[in-house]
Amino acid sequence: MLSRLTFRQVYLLLAVALAGAVVMSAAIGDFIFTPRAMVRFVGQALHLVPLTAADALDRNVFFKLRLPRVLLGTVTGAVLGVSGTLMQGLFRNPIVEPGLAGTSAGAAFGAALVFVLGGHATLAFTAPLGSAAVPVLAFAGGFAATVLVYRVSTSFGKVNVFTMLLAGIAVNAVCAAGTGFLSYIARDPQARNITFWNLGTFTTADWPGALLVTATFLICCVFAFRYGKALNALMLGEDEAAYTGLDPRRFTWGLLVVNTLMVAVATAMVGVIAFIGLVVPHLLRMLRSSDYTFLLPASALLGAVLMEVIDTVARLVIAPAELPIGIITAVVGAPIFIWILMRQQRRGAAGYFG
Amino acid sequence: MVELRGVSWRAGGRPILDNIDAIFAPGRFNVILGPNGAGKSTLLRIATGLLVPDTGTVRYGDRDVRQIAAGELARQRAVLSQRMELAFPLPVDDVVLIGRYPHFGRSPSRHDRDVVAQALDLVGMTGQRSQTYSTLSGGEQQKVQLARVLAQTWPTADGSATWLFLDEPTTSLDVHYQIHLLDVARGLLTSGCTVIAVLHDLNMALRYGDNFLVLDGGRVAAAADHRDAISRELIERVFRVHAERIGDPVTGGTAWQFSL
Repeated sequence: MLSRLTFRQVYLLLAVALAGAVVMSAAIGDFIFTPRAMVRFVGQALHLVPLTAADALDRNVFFKLRLPRVLLGTVTGAVLGVSGTLMQGLFRNPIVEPGLAGTSAGAAFGAALVFVLGGHATLAFTAPLGSAAVPVLAFAGGFAATVLVYRVSTSFGKVNVFTMLLAGIAVNAVCAAGTGFLSYIARDPQARNITFWNLGTFTTADWPGALLVTATFLICCVFAFRYGKALNALMLGEDEAAYTGLDPRRFTWGLLVVNTLMVAVATAMVGVIAFIGLVVPHLLRMLRSSDYTFLLPASALLGAVLMEVIDTVARLVIAPAELPIGIITAVVGAPIFIWILMRQQRRGAAGYFG
Repeated sequence: MVELRGVSWRAGGRPILDNIDAIFAPGRFNVILGPNGAGKSTLLRIATGLLVPDTGTVRYGDRDVRQIAAGELARQRAVLSQRMELAFPLPVDDVVLIGRYPHFGRSPSRHDRDVVAQALDLVGMTGQRSQTYSTLSGGEQQKVQLARVLAQTWPTADGSATWLFLDEPTTSLDVHYQIHLLDVARGLLTSGCTVIAVLHDLNMALRYGDNFLVLDGGRVAAAADHRDAISRELIERVFRVHAERIGDPVTGGTAWQFSL
């Protein structure tokens, strides 16, 4: 199907799909905006069309709630897609993703610390960080968790998948216990936030948060998109990659920092969303190619498309209430995860599609 | 020329290599021989610049290997290891293109694509270039890996020296693929390439090699620049076997036969 298209044509196709998904997501919800109304709002914002008093409320909902939510969702999807690709490349296995390797749970724990104990004396050291405390602690938590899983599962340049899965389970459990404890001791509104946020949600989207995630993603992409060749070479093994001039140590640490940074900042805003990072690169490999120079940009686009579709569904299924994002991603993603595991089991890693 | 001087390496408190001096002659097929645990692979990893020895130096021509930038070294020196599998499906020509990575930035030039095609042609895998690597047989996969390292050190117009290291490349290959691989490697010598190989099969090693370095227990047991210098006594002592020379009355060729 897509296998005959060039990489550029696939990017174009995904970009068109993304534009469609964004427009759909912006239009549908508690308030439904027609394309015509959306064009008018944008025109008004640019002072091309005179403001009308009649749609002041609609305009407010559109700009203050809907648009930041669409931006946050799009970029979070892109972050998770790219992160899944980076981690699968580093671990050389198609079942790794930030939810599995502890990155998301560690980041969530770090962020929850600030939410619950931020005003408390035990976290007084975060005071100088101000509003940056949440992303900074999220990064620290996510980085510690990921490095731990990576170190435990890697020996002599080879990744042991089973050790990695087990280490991931253990690290996730510890982080979830920490977050659970915090939500237990938290005062009520904080606790509700944490519970909601353990399953991922875009309801709290605002412009500062959306822009922070976007800026972080763009900066990380500058580095991440250069890793394509190195990740391809790494498929041959660490030594072979080193023989083509790569410094595996430097590369690994660079990748872990870039990956954790974007995942942690996104997680601090929207909570833990699993399986997007697993499914996106997998779909792209199946549809087109395992070449990482292609997978990295394509997984950003496809991740964004998927997240917008899922967020729209989340807003619709039990309207006027909303389903947490993580429930949908788990329902769709977990069976795919099991299916990939079974294939691996049957054919060995080399027969991934062969 | 690759020159090792006073190279030592310890792992877990145990000496793996002990004060090794060796010269791998340019334009020749240099073979490293020795029993299991003699330190051959470690020596190769040090000679390629992958490992930094505890003591001693590795020189490429007149430069210390540590003074050569990683990218520059990768354009002149390639390493073929034992047959490997890929975690993800890649077409054959993408695997070979990895060998060109040290030569281009973001996207490959027309020349890089040409080199990939020529390397595949040289190993006789042009017909399978768009096939998925993991669907090939073991022997074919190793041919593709050979094409990859050939592409990496493909001769340039300025004719600068290149080095090809082979780390037990024929392990798990059948006789046909063994001979094919070593024939191709031998053919590179005419284009100014120096081959340095760890080989397990003594008869293959003696048939293809020009220079020999015999390791035993982390020390140099013998260094020879002719196969006749590898004596029966040396083989029997180092490999702990009885060796017997047998000949084919028709072709006049001889080979070693071993027994305990």
